[in-house]
Amino acid sequence: MFPTPLQKQSPGARGLYRGVVSISLLVWLLPLFAIALTSTRSLDDLSRGNYWGWPTDLRIAENYTAVFTSSPMGRYLLNSVVITLPAVAGTLAVSTMAGFALAQYRFRGNIALFATFIAGNFVPFQVLMIPVRNLFVHVIPLYDTVWALVLFHIAFQTGFCTLFMRNFIRELPDALVEAARIEGVGELRIFWHVVLPLVRPALAALAVLEFTFIWNDYFWALVLVQSDTARPVTAGLQALAGQWLASWQLMSAGALIAAAPSIVIFFAMQRHFIAGLTLGAVKE
Amino acid sequence: MAEVSLRGVRKSFGPVDVIKGIDLDVAHGEFCVFVGPSGCGKSTLLRLIAGLEDITEGTLDIGGANMTRVPPANRGIAMVFQSYALYPHMTVRDNISFGLRMVDTPKPVITARVAEAARLLQLETYLDRKPSQLSGGQRQRVAIGRAIVREPEVFLFDEPLSNLDAALRSQTRVELLNLHQTLGATMIYVTHDQVEAMTMADKIVVLQAGQIEQVGSPLELYERPRNLFVAGFIGSPRMNTIPGRIATVIDGAARLELPGGAITHVQLNGTRLAPGPVLLGVRPEHIMVDDPGTSGEGLAGTVTLAEHLGAETILHIEMAHGPVLVARADGRAPQRIGQPVTLTLDPRFCHLFDPAGPALMNAPG
Repeated sequence: MFPTPLQKQSPGARGLYRGVVSISLLVWLLPLFAIALTSTRSLDDLSRGNYWGWPTDLRIAENYTAVFTSSPMGRYLLNSVVITLPAVAGTLAVSTMAGFALAQYRFRGNIALFATFIAGNFVPFQVLMIPVRNLFVHVIPLYDTVWALVLFHIAFQTGFCTLFMRNFIRELPDALVEAARIEGVGELRIFWHVVLPLVRPALAALAVLEFTFIWNDYFWALVLVQSDTARPVTAGLQALAGQWLASWQLMSAGALIAAAPSIVIFFAMQRHFIAGLTLGAVKE
Repeated sequence: MAEVSLRGVRKSFGPVDVIKGIDLDVAHGEFCVFVGPSGCGKSTLLRLIAGLEDITEGTLDIGGANMTRVPPANRGIAMVFQSYALYPHMTVRDNISFGLRMVDTPKPVITARVAEAARLLQLETYLDRKPSQLSGGQRQRVAIGRAIVREPEVFLFDEPLSNLDAALRSQTRVELLNLHQTLGATMIYVTHDQVEAMTMADKIVVLQAGQIEQVGSPLELYERPRNLFVAGFIGSPRMNTIPGRIATVIDGAARLELPGGAITHVQLNGTRLAPGPVLLGVRPEHIMVDDPGTSGEGLAGTVTLAEHLGAETILHIEMAHGPVLVARADGRAPQRIGQPVTLTLDPRFCHLFDPAGPALMNAPG
């Protein structure tokens, strides 16, 4: 029924497996590798068409410094942080509470409400572009501020996160909450002292995932923000494109700088992330 | 004083009636056991008393006060769950004191009560461990400790021993009884295990399909079951029932025809019965097993299974015409599988049931 474990297959099959995996990995990483290499080249190198060879002179320090001197990259990075951290925190807070309510309370319309959260995930965000922009221009006057992005990301990410947290909290034994209720512990304290510590792995996983989603967002950064004071790093990369001449080496360096935080976060939290995603799959 | 009384209590989940009208009084300090097969509503009834489920209809009084709509925390109860429901991220000490800390009990009171509970349950050396570092029996004791520190009037236990192995279960049973003696509190205990019910209870409540079948002391239920269900549920191995008919009633004794034409006589002790079909009930220890031919009036059968338990032997005997009977014989009973035997039913311990269920006559004992 189950496929034979790789270790027990014939040497030929194992060799083939290793070969195919290596090739896929190479194909997968090649663009990243090219960008990393490009970020160290000089403009001359690129004009001469040296895209894949070793750079004629390494200009690591020059290029990476130029990213910050030739554009408000520092400001963009700061904006990204100012947008991403509150958005992740807000999303987790709202969705954990909503998930707790949906998982623990029996009330009329519970399932309908939960279904709405799930259905919300299927709305293509392009459809929302004009209405959301208008909302922030006319109704909530936050257009072109970081708060527009923070609010929007919280609202938009809460659907998926609530689904995730609700299912996770549902898996906790009801008796834990009931035992606390019998002891006279209030609902908020039950949430804080009993539920929250037990869903920590799920929260860690979700935090990493949401950080990457929100940090890497480009679309809404274009739609909701115009000026440098609020623009996050993803949209800010445009500023490096140059007006008359494409400075690919600077754009590559900028792209790597923009990507670095989510990669660092992922590797730092990798243990929690994988533990969180597989938690509850196996009964202890 | 904390007596618990239920009047006309009903519980429905949507269109499904789970508890169908329960009237019950549990006296102060009593150890009351709810017993019944799975799905009979015994756990639901306990959760109604705890306040974890809302009572659809009827009233619940605890200590003379109406608690029907009072939140669980204010009912003066504590509950021990089947799964123990220990908080995995807290130490034993924090688990036991959690409820007290959350309702802002003064620190010295918490410390004193935790120490007392730990002493009572021999948990002193485990106070700083997490539940995952404890054995099943220790977790059980922590769960009980968490109930004790609340100093409740009424303890509720929901199948607390079902996750323990057999040896630990009988040991914990004794510990719980000692605890009951020490605390003198009212305890309501749910189990599906009739041995637990028999050994622990002052009062047993036998439930089936959301209704009380019978309430009484263990021996009362054992000796005077009100119907076939209780007769079959209480006692292990269960009571034998043999279909038969009352042929005639002469001088207060019924002449009973059993399958295959065997005849037995049962004293009716003043109960008036008309001839007709009945079920004869007799407990395994009231069946005498002899070699064929040693007694005159007996039922012929063949041993099909012998369970040697040491102190006693449980013999399964297939009657020549009729059901398989179970008899409790001496530990050194010589009967072997395949051996023909003659059974004698002790006429002093025969019950008669209406085939529809109700008892017509219980054994005088």
